[in-house]
Amino acid sequence: MNRKNSNKSRNPNKPTLAFYFLRALACINKKTSMASYNQRSGTIKRAAYASMALAAGPKRAWSRAVLCRVLWWGSSRLHGFPTRRRPRAFFHRRVRVADPKLREPSKADVLRRLVPGAKAMDLSRLLEETAHYIQYLRAQVLLMQNVVGSVSD
Amino acid sequence: MEPTRSSDAGSGNSGTYTPEIAESIRFEEEIQSLMRENTMHPGLEPPPVGGGGSSFTALLGLPANQAVELLHEPESEESPAVAIASASGGEMWRFRLRDPKALTLPSGCSPTFPSNAALVERAARLSVFATEDSPEAASVPSHSGDRSTKPKAEPADSDSQPICPIPGERPQRPAKRKEADKGNKVKGPAKKTKSAEEGSAKGAEENTSGSGEKLPYVHVRARRGQATDSHSLAERARREKINARMKLLQELVPGCSKISGTALVLDEIINHVQSLQRQVEVLSMRLAAVNPRIDFSGLDSFLSAECGRVTVGDGRCGGGMEQSAWMEATAVNEGRRQQQQIWHVDSVHPHPTPSVWERVDSPHLFINPGTSLFGYDPSNSGKRRRRRR
Repeated sequence: MNRKNSNKSRNPNKPTLAFYFLRALACINKKTSMASYNQRSGTIKRAAYASMALAAGPKRAWSRAVLCRVLWWGSSRLHGFPTRRRPRAFFHRRVRVADPKLREPSKADVLRRLVPGAKAMDLSRLLEETAHYIQYLRAQVLLMQNVVGSVSD
Repeated sequence: MEPTRSSDAGSGNSGTYTPEIAESIRFEEEIQSLMRENTMHPGLEPPPVGGGGSSFTALLGLPANQAVELLHEPESEESPAVAIASASGGEMWRFRLRDPKALTLPSGCSPTFPSNAALVERAARLSVFATEDSPEAASVPSHSGDRSTKPKAEPADSDSQPICPIPGERPQRPAKRKEADKGNKVKGPAKKTKSAEEGSAKGAEENTSGSGEKLPYVHVRARRGQATDSHSLAERARREKINARMKLLQELVPGCSKISGTALVLDEIINHVQSLQRQVEVLSMRLAAVNPRIDFSGLDSFLSAECGRVTVGDGRCGGGMEQSAWMEATAVNEGRRQQQQIWHVDSVHPHPTPSVWERVDSPHLFINPGTSLFGYDPSNSGKRRRRRR
């Protein structure tokens, strides 16, 4: 049994999260002030996920997957890679976990699609990653709400 | 006790004589003499004497139930050693025990053992038999030869005892019971520390727990009436893991603790994750709309000139007000009031992961001599523009 990481999902480090996100915001403001609204919102969204993954650390599968995805975004933008390219293929294991004992296979599959980097994972690992992901998502949403609230005032 | 017992068995098997083994040999001789007295009992033969090697098996040739009780546990413990030492003897005693005629012996032979109590006491004194110790030894003389009370004494023993750490001992008790008392239902003394939700007593499990007798290294304990084979154990462990994680998730997701049933809980979790992701998107759109108003000006030239570590308020020229404005704007930073941050360009276009992770531990101080730095001192309302470029 995983003693240390099953019973206590690590609480997200709020200052670190804020740090990365605000830094990203600053850079976005600096760099893309002339960009369109949609582009900027997409960039901000990606920055939010990137800062979330950065704050989470490399130990979680979802944070690694998110960072790889962000890398792909960055590289495709910078170097003009074709957008069809999926770097996930490097990391996406083709092993399909056959779990006939699942309550309903579709639910776990939906969850696998939602949580990044959880495609080839057994159920217990998937649940653990989901718990961690939810924690960080919630912290990120709170942070963004605070930022929006304070900025728009 | 157990290591001494096993060591005794080992030493006994190897032929070296220790005081305990000498006493057990005397015990054996007494038993053999007793058995020669009872030659009228069918199916009983003097057990094979293999010196110190098969002392336990010789003892187990005793037809009395007390001896069976006394000797079964240590024998079963030493089953690997004994099996190695004398397999044939072991089988013989097992066969003898399964002999229904042997079961009727206790009632018949208890009066024929005048020194039964003495034997029992000697057995109890022997360190090798001191497993279930006093409760057993106490119960044995009390119901000497009484077959009906034996199964009752057994549950009493098992209840009174603390959880025995002897590996492989538990699964063998039902085997003994099965052999000794076919009529009764097996009470299922196999208790596993991994408590699973399924507690249904199945009759098939008795056989599997009986087959566990042969395995000397069954270290897990099953709930009563549960299978002990490795597959079901692994399955149970896996299920417990999954259920533990589901409980964690239920606590995380609001409103999930009331729901029972994994499918509904999973539905709730999926909805929650989707809603959170949607919220992130909405907020990012709002931020994008709000952002042009915020002006994050940079101090990068100043910092690159400084080209080193920037500590609390050092590298900022009159940036105190901006910092406080920034702090108000964010309203989230608790621990970064006094910090100057050096921003790297790769927040939006990240560098390869290793270099990024280095900064995770120390977000406060950055040492970036060669790279282009810009710190930013954002002003909330855009009134202050410090363009140091």
